[in-house]
Amino acid sequence: MFTSLRRPSSSTVMVTINGQSVPAHAGQTVWAAMALAGQTVTRQAALSGEDRSAFCAMGVCFECMVEIDGQPNQQACLRRVTEGMTIQTQNITEHSGAQNHGL
Amino acid sequence: MNADVLIIGGGIQGCATAYHLAKSGVSVIVLEKDYAGRHASGVNAGGVRLLGRDIAEVPLSKASMQMWQGLDKTLGEDTGFRRRSLINIAADDADIETLRARQQVMQSAGHSHERLMDQQELREALPHVHPSCLGGVTSDLDGYAIPYKATLAFKRAAIRAGARFMEGEELISMRRVGPVWLVQTRTADYEGDTVVNCAGAWADKVATMIGDQVPLSHAAPMLMITTRLPHFAGPVVGAVSRQLSFKQFANGTVLIGGGAKGFADRARNETRLDYAKLASAARTAIEFFPIMAGASINRMWAGLEAYMPDNLPVIGPAANADRAFHAFGYSAHGFQMGPITGKVMADLVIGGICDFDLTAFRIDRFDRKTL
Amino acid sequence: MAFDCAIIGAGPAGMSAAISLSAAGADTIVLDRAPRAGGQIYRSVADSPLADVSLLGEEYLQGAALIEAYENSGATHMADADVWHIGSDGTILFSRDGETHQIQTREILICPGAMERPMPIPGWTLPGVMTAGSAQVMLKSDAVTAENAVFAGSGPLLYLIVAQYLRLGVKVAGLVDTTPLANYRSAMHLGPSALRSWPMLHKGLSLLREIRASGIPFYRNARELRILGDQRAEGLSFHSNGRRDIRSDTVFLHHGVIPQTNITRALGLDHVWSDIQKCWHVKSNAWGQSSSPHISVAGDGARISGAEAAQSSGRVAAANILTRLGRINLQDRDQQCRLDHAFLAKQAPFRRFIDTLYNPAPALSLPEDPDTLVCRCEEQSVQNLRDGFDKGAANPNALKSLTRCGMGPCQGRQCGPIVTGLLAKWRGISEADVGYYRLRSPQRLLNLKEFSRFHALSAQSDKEAAE
Repeated sequence: MFTSLRRPSSSTVMVTINGQSVPAHAGQTVWAAMALAGQTVTRQAALSGEDRSAFCAMGVCFECMVEIDGQPNQQACLRRVTEGMTIQTQNITEHSGAQNHGL
Repeated sequence: MNADVLIIGGGIQGCATAYHLAKSGVSVIVLEKDYAGRHASGVNAGGVRLLGRDIAEVPLSKASMQMWQGLDKTLGEDTGFRRRSLINIAADDADIETLRARQQVMQSAGHSHERLMDQQELREALPHVHPSCLGGVTSDLDGYAIPYKATLAFKRAAIRAGARFMEGEELISMRRVGPVWLVQTRTADYEGDTVVNCAGAWADKVATMIGDQVPLSHAAPMLMITTRLPHFAGPVVGAVSRQLSFKQFANGTVLIGGGAKGFADRARNETRLDYAKLASAARTAIEFFPIMAGASINRMWAGLEAYMPDNLPVIGPAANADRAFHAFGYSAHGFQMGPITGKVMADLVIGGICDFDLTAFRIDRFDRKTL
Repeated sequence: MAFDCAIIGAGPAGMSAAISLSAAGADTIVLDRAPRAGGQIYRSVADSPLADVSLLGEEYLQGAALIEAYENSGATHMADADVWHIGSDGTILFSRDGETHQIQTREILICPGAMERPMPIPGWTLPGVMTAGSAQVMLKSDAVTAENAVFAGSGPLLYLIVAQYLRLGVKVAGLVDTTPLANYRSAMHLGPSALRSWPMLHKGLSLLREIRASGIPFYRNARELRILGDQRAEGLSFHSNGRRDIRSDTVFLHHGVIPQTNITRALGLDHVWSDIQKCWHVKSNAWGQSSSPHISVAGDGARISGAEAAQSSGRVAAANILTRLGRINLQDRDQQCRLDHAFLAKQAPFRRFIDTLYNPAPALSLPEDPDTLVCRCEEQSVQNLRDGFDKGAANPNALKSLTRCGMGPCQGRQCGPIVTGLLAKWRGISEADVGYYRLRSPQRLLNLKEFSRFHALSAQSDKEAAE
């Protein structure tokens, strides 16, 4: 269970994580916002589809890739929250198909 | 060490040649300066393409394409080959004209494997293509393979048939004394009755040792590969007149080429990328397939490739020496030709003839009279 | 106006170098991925979200003064600048605000910092398993802690974060120390010379005393570690005087730190294997110069030696760069570096002591269970790699081409050291002879659209953008 020891601060933004609307501190990393919201699954592994979560939290391991505002492959530990941001667990595996917008 | 045949170069041409020779009971040693599949054969874009070939290459390429369809079974290995078809997209009326002219040439030569597509067919085959594209041309048997896997597959099958591979063996000298070729590497000496030059980007140096001069030049075609994307393109994609070329592999990653060249530094065994040109290839990809705007590039690289002035390979016997043969200079489209090259070279080495007219591929086709 | 020198990374090494270069009048630009200078070690010290930052310890607080000196040095600081390519020709490409930028400088100093050594125990990919470094990062930058977590592994950083948690009143489920008993014996032989750096040794010992005094479960000489749980971590199982399980939803692993070499590798610089530190590092001379004379390296990213040594190595590299720029002569350089070289020499025995004491246990560096994943991105297990090896892929690049191990988004950062180790073991040769992956740019995933907007920025507009 992740908890916050942050001293009281005024600037709060609202973000949406997997459909859940949660408050976060301005400038906080996306991963910290996810961890505190109990939304710790960042992505599904590319072959097995198994759940993965942040591992190194410093940009090295790429385990925390999430979709931010529709853009995949964003490292949650490096990106910072902004007002209205939409964050989603990334689910792109070998078997994912693209929606057919073309025809 | 001795063998009937010494093959210089462990790329796909060398490995396929070793395979066919060994299967016919010929003793073979492959001398490879790095490791098999280290250079162009292992790091190319993996295109297995019959579409758009120079007319002189079509018979060989067609025969090779037939071999690819059953290659995994033949070799008892996984080459990663997938038949997916290849589509070259026509973006405008000029492209359509180009395709019509090509179609006439192909038909009068009796080739029917290239089929024109109208706009509707194009969009059915590639639902994510930009709606403004007008049509295209396709070849059904085309697809892709995994370059290193395919090269290794030939190597392993060759070894099972009795071929020997000596890796990390860089050539220092080669000379013919009486009936034998004496080959010296950094660590050992080899003797063989016949040599086959499959040395890729270094084949002009080997040709010189054999006694043939050849105007080989070098370039570094650049590639970039994305992380996995949801599957959006089944066929391999090219364009008639734009620098666009990509394929989405079964694992979801997308390899983007397009022909933009980096800097080739053969002396230092290095390539450097031209990022501005690559960025323009990225722009083209997004223009044709807007879905790619969300793609993430994972790696960019350039392989060292050898080109002949007419972009056709050298395939055939040496001009100035006995019992020496060449197969190189494929000008960045030799991967698909690997299987048939192996067969042709084995036929030439063993019987002196093969099933194809190799006139267009003679090594001395650029020889000039001096004043 | 062009910059004389670009520094990549604003940690202790990069900041110290920038201060020296700017003081001597060299036009210096520092590109750093973070919103504020400090690097991993001094991350957020200048703007901590914690109510009482002093609980993180004296060493951390010292970073504030360095950051202040750096921020007043006159060097151009470019925050949020993620460098994804450095070319041997001096070209630097970086992403900032969704755009690709390009600069060129005469001299380049790379300070990529350290990362944690991979610790591939069974179950290390399960959600809930993180690294001790991640606990530090979360604490420093976001004041986020994990209640009732297990800490497992070996090395000073592990003890530091546990002590910090305890001081902050965060409950710790246990500390599982994997330092092999044999390491203590080997380290003791080095004792007398290490004692010359008594203050550093003292600091380490007092951390351990602090942890012991807290009364948390503390297991030593632990081995055969395994994460409990199927879908996510439910605890840690290990052997320490018998098999034991500790239940917890968070397990922090740590097995020492190694230099981050991806960017120096992609650049084609020479690298060497250190048998003492059991890792690769970029080859450099006493002045931090790499195998390309105009490219220098400093800090833990060049060779693991700690934050203080990183500052010294940054200043030394800067002095040498100043001579190359023609701003000071060799005598001045040598004079200027006297104290730093003396410090580096003095702490070497202590470093040796630490490296020996916390030498990674082979069984924890190289997975033995065939099903354990080596490549987290492409999900390649020990068995997959062994199959590829048996097919003839005997070097890291061939194995990568065949199995896709190391081809994922992390670009081999996690599996690379393991692959070198496994191949060395299987072939019965040294890690140095096995070698490492050939790496390519970009250093991080690059959005295709962003890349398509590539344009070259002039140095002047860079300066304006930074201001």
